[in-house]
Amino acid sequence: MIDALFEGLLLVLQWKAFAFMLLGIGLGFWVGLLPGLGGATTLALMLPFIYAMQPVEAFAFLLGMHSVVATTGDITSVLFGVPGEATAAATILDGHAMAKKGEAGRALGAALTSSLIGALVGAFALALAIPVVRPLVLTFGSPELFMVAIVGLAFIASLSAHGARGMLRGFLAGGLGLFFATVGQDPQAGIARYTLGTLYLWGGLELVPMLIGIFAIPEIIDLVVRGTSIAGDVPPGRLNKGALEGVKDTFRHFWLTIRCSLIGTFIGIMPGLGGSVAQWMAYGHATQSARNAEERKQFGAGDVRGVLGPGAANNSKEGGALIPTVAFGVPGSSAMAILLGGFFLMGLVPGPDMLTKHLAVTFSMVWTIVLANVITVVACFLFLNQLARLTAVRGHLLIPVILVLVFIGSYTANNHYGDVLVMLLFGGIGYLMVVGGWPRAPFVLGLVLGKIAENYLYISVARYEAAWLYRPVVLVLLGLALVVICYPLIQARRAGAKKDAHA
Amino acid sequence: MHSKASLGLGVGIMILSAWGVISALAWPWKAALFPLVIGIPIFCLAATEVLWVLFGSTVRGETMDFQLSTHLPEQVTLRRTALAVGWMLGFFGAIVLVSFPVAVPLFVFLYLKLQGREGWGLSLIFTVAVWALFYGLFDRLLHLPFPDGWIQTWAGLT
Repeated sequence: MIDALFEGLLLVLQWKAFAFMLLGIGLGFWVGLLPGLGGATTLALMLPFIYAMQPVEAFAFLLGMHSVVATTGDITSVLFGVPGEATAAATILDGHAMAKKGEAGRALGAALTSSLIGALVGAFALALAIPVVRPLVLTFGSPELFMVAIVGLAFIASLSAHGARGMLRGFLAGGLGLFFATVGQDPQAGIARYTLGTLYLWGGLELVPMLIGIFAIPEIIDLVVRGTSIAGDVPPGRLNKGALEGVKDTFRHFWLTIRCSLIGTFIGIMPGLGGSVAQWMAYGHATQSARNAEERKQFGAGDVRGVLGPGAANNSKEGGALIPTVAFGVPGSSAMAILLGGFFLMGLVPGPDMLTKHLAVTFSMVWTIVLANVITVVACFLFLNQLARLTAVRGHLLIPVILVLVFIGSYTANNHYGDVLVMLLFGGIGYLMVVGGWPRAPFVLGLVLGKIAENYLYISVARYEAAWLYRPVVLVLLGLALVVICYPLIQARRAGAKKDAHA
Repeated sequence: MHSKASLGLGVGIMILSAWGVISALAWPWKAALFPLVIGIPIFCLAATEVLWVLFGSTVRGETMDFQLSTHLPEQVTLRRTALAVGWMLGFFGAIVLVSFPVAVPLFVFLYLKLQGREGWGLSLIFTVAVWALFYGLFDRLLHLPFPDGWIQTWAGLT
């Protein structure tokens, strides 16, 4: 095994494979920065180019590209409040809030360092877990996966606002997200649901325009209202400092970063959940690290832990998602499904062969994830502070550029004007939520989880009827969901009692 | 203002979920299961929220999310918000009427001149730069299909 590990490294370091990896990193870097252009889409576009390559070169190219997309997606999220990738949306909540306080450099430093640690943890998990993961994946059937989705939603809904009122709004927002996810042709009976008689809605609502609208539109309106730069009146001298502080923050909260990386890896392993879910789960966990209600209020207002959690989970999920893809041929996400296509194009069959005959190729994938992330983060750090200065550019110079990217980013989902309308509609909803003090995070998680949860619920009911509710892992997860819901309320009550006692 | 937004959202969700549940009742159970499982609870939660807004405390809830700027007078905030919405709707209208390749430079230039009150030189150079980025990346490199606008189609310029 050790021999295969080193052989994998040597394979990636061959000049041709290394050059293809650099090319992939370059492409992934820009794809990550552009809103709307997803990593999965780019993988699909690049798939035909691997025909002439050797397996190691092909995976160095594809994985190199895919590994850095989430990392650079964080950059636009932090600087402009526009998610460069669907998987980078959670970074906006605290990352962009930090940018508005003049701490863009620190937020970017934290996002990139946690991304690197996340990627390393994911790659390490991939290297270690392949022989032992089979029983874990097989324990989780549809009922358990449905409950994982419910726990995730309970997690974020109960933690993203304060008190009973906040929790009510959190669950309402999450439920609304799940409801919007039902739009389109239903997967079981083929009924057109809530399509308003239009063909466009048959395919359902696209995630990218919805995410861009929910997050970017309220930020853009606020920027117009303020009439200043993103960083406001913060002295320009402060903007180009802080990247190093972000690195230090990562190590100050090292165990949080590791835990969020593990959450990302776990979500990555679970088929169908994907990176959009991992980031919110990690964000929910990061908010739990607040020791009291006062500290929790910092989240959403620029707490660096809100950047570290999603940043780490975003990248660690790649290693996790590769585990079932390589070991069983079960892709953990849409991007992995496309990568699976790459396996077949290369004449490789995922499964036991990848762990025996082609073990060196499997380890070359691990090394590609590690090297691609290290190279990207080092390259980003070279001009991170210069990037942070963009937050000092006059707002009315940035707004037209951001709006052009927002409109085109939405349009690219289906190349249909309907996507732009969806973006504007969800922008309106997002704006109302911000004005009304409703949390947007559960709404987005509901949108992401809707289709997955529906599918698992249907299979659970059709296969087990009501008996799925009594399965041991389901009961454990149900208990966990109840704890997650009750914990903040108990914490708030205790804090209230303490305050009364002091008075 | 936050109470009005909450009330609007609550009532909107009640109407939406009621319509969703009523529509789902006519579908086979396979298609109706999830919309009913979701629709009924969110109707009840939305009704609770509406009652809370109408008869409960008016204190704004604290969320882990970004807050809009509050340092400006409400009239100024409302006027600028309306302006921002107007620009976005105007840009969308321009895209539909004259398509992306024409709407992008038109919007950037007008925004810089009218909203940003920038000089002619900077406005023109900036517009050309944004247009070059748009054209080079999305049109030439990525070959995104941009359909003709209504005006081009109507005038037979396709």
